[in-house]
Amino acid sequence: MRAFEYLSPKTLEAASAAVRTAPEGARIIAGGQDLLGELKERIATPGRVVSLKAVPGLRGIREESGSLRIGALATVQEVAESPLVREKAPALAEAATSVGTPQIRALGTVGGNLCQRPRCWYYRLADFPCLKKGGGTCFAVEGDSRYHAILGGGPCHIVHPSDLAVALVALDASVEVVGAKGRRTIPIADLYALPAVDASRETTLAPDEIVAEVSVPAGARSAFRKFREKLSLDFAVVAAAVALGPKGPRVALGGVAPVPWRSREAEAALGAKPVTAESAAAAATAALAPAKPLKNNRYKVPLACAVLRRTILAAAGVADPGPPAPPATPAPTKKAGEDF
Amino acid sequence: MKRVRRSQVEIEGKLRERTEVVEEDPSPPWDDRARLRVAGRPHPRLDGRAKASGAAIYTQDVGLPGMLHARILRSPHACARVLSVDASAALALDGVRAVLTQENAAAIPWYGGTTRLLERTVRYAGDEVAVVAAEDEETAEDALHLIRVRYARRRPVLDPGTAPRGGKPSVYTRGNARKAVSGAPVVVAGSYRTPAALHQAFETHGSVARWEGEHLTVWDSTQHIFGVRKELAAALGLPLHRVRVISTFMGGGFGAKNECGKYTVFAALLARRTGRPVRCLLTRAEESLAAGCRHATVQTLRLGARRDGRLLGIEHRSLCDVGAYGTDGPMPVGGPARTLYRCAAVRTEEVPVRTNTGPHTAFRAPGYVEGTFALERAMDRVAEACGLDPLEVRLRNYSPGDPRGFRYTRKGLRECYRIGAARIGWRRRARLGRRGTSLRGLGLASQVWPAGGAPPSHAVVKVNPDATAEVLIGTQDIGTGTRTVLAQIAAEELSLRARDVTVLLGDTGAGPYSLLSAGSLTTASAGPAVRAAARDARQQLEELATGLARGKGGRPGPREVCREIGDAMVIGRGARGPNPEGLKACSFGAHFAEVEVDAETGEVRIVRYVAVHEVGRVVNPLTASSQVEGGVLMGIGFALLERRIEDPATGRGIAVDLLDYKLPTALDLPPIEVLFVPGADPRATTIGAKGLGEPPIIAAPAAIANAVAHAVGADLPELPLTPDRVLEAIARGRRAP
Amino acid sequence: MPEARTPKKPRRARGTKSAVHLLLRVNGEDREVTTAPHRTLLETLREDLGLTGTKHGCELGECGTCTVLVDGQPILSCLALSADYEGREITTVEGMADGAQLHPLQETFADLGAAQCGYCTPGFLLTAKALLEEKPSPSREEIREALAGNLCRCTGYLKIYEAVEQAAARMREEGPRGGR
Repeated sequence: MRAFEYLSPKTLEAASAAVRTAPEGARIIAGGQDLLGELKERIATPGRVVSLKAVPGLRGIREESGSLRIGALATVQEVAESPLVREKAPALAEAATSVGTPQIRALGTVGGNLCQRPRCWYYRLADFPCLKKGGGTCFAVEGDSRYHAILGGGPCHIVHPSDLAVALVALDASVEVVGAKGRRTIPIADLYALPAVDASRETTLAPDEIVAEVSVPAGARSAFRKFREKLSLDFAVVAAAVALGPKGPRVALGGVAPVPWRSREAEAALGAKPVTAESAAAAATAALAPAKPLKNNRYKVPLACAVLRRTILAAAGVADPGPPAPPATPAPTKKAGEDF
Repeated sequence: MKRVRRSQVEIEGKLRERTEVVEEDPSPPWDDRARLRVAGRPHPRLDGRAKASGAAIYTQDVGLPGMLHARILRSPHACARVLSVDASAALALDGVRAVLTQENAAAIPWYGGTTRLLERTVRYAGDEVAVVAAEDEETAEDALHLIRVRYARRRPVLDPGTAPRGGKPSVYTRGNARKAVSGAPVVVAGSYRTPAALHQAFETHGSVARWEGEHLTVWDSTQHIFGVRKELAAALGLPLHRVRVISTFMGGGFGAKNECGKYTVFAALLARRTGRPVRCLLTRAEESLAAGCRHATVQTLRLGARRDGRLLGIEHRSLCDVGAYGTDGPMPVGGPARTLYRCAAVRTEEVPVRTNTGPHTAFRAPGYVEGTFALERAMDRVAEACGLDPLEVRLRNYSPGDPRGFRYTRKGLRECYRIGAARIGWRRRARLGRRGTSLRGLGLASQVWPAGGAPPSHAVVKVNPDATAEVLIGTQDIGTGTRTVLAQIAAEELSLRARDVTVLLGDTGAGPYSLLSAGSLTTASAGPAVRAAARDARQQLEELATGLARGKGGRPGPREVCREIGDAMVIGRGARGPNPEGLKACSFGAHFAEVEVDAETGEVRIVRYVAVHEVGRVVNPLTASSQVEGGVLMGIGFALLERRIEDPATGRGIAVDLLDYKLPTALDLPPIEVLFVPGADPRATTIGAKGLGEPPIIAAPAAIANAVAHAVGADLPELPLTPDRVLEAIARGRRAP
Repeated sequence: MPEARTPKKPRRARGTKSAVHLLLRVNGEDREVTTAPHRTLLETLREDLGLTGTKHGCELGECGTCTVLVDGQPILSCLALSADYEGREITTVEGMADGAQLHPLQETFADLGAAQCGYCTPGFLLTAKALLEEKPSPSREEIREALAGNLCRCTGYLKIYEAVEQAAARMREEGPRGGR
């Protein structure tokens, strides 16, 4: 880590100001579970680190006029274990349970989870001057792209790492942020922007804006599923969240795109009708129809299709009859000699 | 009486000729009739409490007054010429005490003389360029970023398929394999690939060096204190007696810590230059880049068999990616093909190829894990081609002796098959099938590993006036439980309890030479040496008892003798005797795995696992079962998750942390049952035991791959079995008739 | 014991980076430390306070080896800035025993072979301690879940589960003991 100055202000406004006035850049630290890694690898070298530990009132989880209000400093573990979240927004509880490890869930916060930086190995290694670090190349295109984006990629091909964000997009949550111009509330989907907008960052927040609270409409039937290679300590290869609320189905995918990926194709395929095994399979196929895999990640297409189909069925409480025959998973079209 | 002979010894699966000093050990072997009280029974680790209290001091924990911290600058380029190194800004940083570069460091030959400690040509991304010593780690790291290096980059060689030869191929033949395979009614041919894999011991490599005048003491996380002493003394031009190497506790090695590392020499050089103790520890990323790996293989295999499944010929060729330096030649990937089955015509060839990647080193059963995967996969295909059960094919090709023409001291593989098949319910195999999206499969694999140990290993046993004892031996406990097992053996011979014995090891200044802790050597080599020393002490006590016998009081017991002679203590010495002529001592095993494969996602779940081993006498069943469970889990990692990854364009390691280099977690552990074939192997060693360190990992990837292949109905030619590969195999299985 | 060192300030134009003076509560004792703001809790414990029972594993929160308890909860000390933990109750492996009397978990880890090379052991012990304080009779599944953030490269985890189960049984029989 490069040396930095450490500040611990008592209000969000003061924290925001401390970031704004930092002469050599600043980063906010909440749980630190993502930031410390960036500092150690020196892909973040702020002159100042602003801790939120002394800011009161950012922790609770409560229900207010039909919505769950979750403070940005609520830990991932608190969300996972909250009876309120489990009952009123099950997809979010399931997503929280799947995060990292018990130790990471203990310190990792909701705000930090939403603002964490991507896990792309080219981004995480200082030796690769990639687009996201201000360089000129996305190394995944010619490099090893087995975990990279199949949807919405370009010019940078990261996948967004947050599980909570996927659930929150499906649950139609909104986020309250505090910055120089005071407070504003935005739909969670608008918190994120594709790399085509600005490859150097994932969120639309101004540098001095801090997430204060997340608001989640309560009561929709919902489910979250995550496929990973290890059952703990692993990010999603593919994740899916589905909510069946009064305004119709909302479908989000994780691990497949540079943002938590809302699939309007899948939502349209499900329509307002009750979910059936057939409509779930059709919606999953529709969601992946626009997929544009890179060299090494074609397998993620059938994988995401399967995970999404199962998540839709789980949200609807429909038993899984297995994939329709002929198989919904297209046999990978592999050319001879090609590295799969 | 000592004598000298030329002898063949098989260490880490490689047969080597060497000159051996033979010191006969007259101890009568502990056979099945030996009534043992301590050896052969479960015993908690004698150092368990030190470890569980946090009091055990590992190399990483050694802190000395005035100690400096060293960090290494490594090349970001896989192949380049270093044009210049400018360390002036680093040296100007507050707290920096010294910087070593190719300009000012001695030109010490390294990697068998193929390069030097710090060289102008860097051959992999991670190769050492400069070293900084500073007052603390942070300052040393800051300084690394201030060193300006100019490189002239060259295009790296990364693909083992097109890489140049990296030394002489290792060829073995018996009979005419090509003719035998080509003429066989059943021929199975295939290409199998295994990845480079990383040891990832949790204590990274590292050393602390301190000079006291002309004497150098080094704390090192190593599997071979005497080896490090020898290499370090040679590197620094010091006489051996002025170098002392200590490794009291070490946090895992798995083969990556068999030799002296550059970091050790850096610490010693910087300590001499600054007049301060210096600590040089690798970071996790450095551990992943520059601390060795299991080398990747590309294996081509042809088996010829009769229609009844009996093998007629085996042709096996493996390209072994030894990396940028790898000086130990290719690992014995053909070992299983040479020795596992009865087959008159066998040709194996291991071809080393050189790429611009991190150098390889031994890794738990090097070569055999990879070779067993390919051979056992192919054996299942022979079974399929002949319409036979896979276990039946293995029994039809069972070789009671080493098929190279040696007898075994004992071979319990048939019992392993029998016990394991019954335990897992092998007969269900034909009935397993698809349920919804779940595909079930059952697989097995066999294992052989040379594990009889070897001389030289010496031990000293001191008996105290209170009839407790201390064992001095220059071996090391790398976590396996060596301290405890050696205490049990000494206690057995001296009629003591294990906790009345303290084993002092891991210090070249304290104990006499013992072999490296690798190759499943330790118990079978150091164990008999300790027994011989304890026996010597016991015999001295008995002689003294005769001398002290008086009148009606009769002959005093050993406890009384000790008290009587007081500080004129009895000191026993012993050495590991020679291995039996013309006999091979190997450990055997059979592993059985039942898996469930998700047909839609390619996820593999191991639902049951049975590991059966024959290792002669199990000296400590508690530590042994732990060793097997851990070995199986490491094998599961290699089967399903683990692979070193380089960026295909630059050759830089990109999976260098423990998130991207995937190790199995507690949730990835299936139910594992561990069983041992009972009985000693008294022809192998005087304690009736053989080695167990490596055997548990050998068969695991093959057993799992065979189970997955059974489930999906297609071959799995490449490890690890990640979802992309399994989905691809499922698609192939579906297209197959 | 590592000597306490005054952190050196890199000579670099980066504004004022004063050392921070921290009052940490470690194993029931107040410890004053003057250290750099960018020191992690792991480094402070090991280098500044000489508590080397907590080990370095991966430095990036990906192995659990450096686990300590903060207010009874397992956290990764390599991903924690020391300055963020003033006033919190920090427990390391050195704080588990009650004088010479080891914690039941330390005893069962030693007796049942749960510590093989022993390097990951302190992290496992603290995670398990937090579990047993919350759930005195955890099921095997609950133990697996709780320990899913601690990696072990030697044992294969089974001996560790058994040790946790036996310690739980012993603690239920004996009731609370003096250990922290």
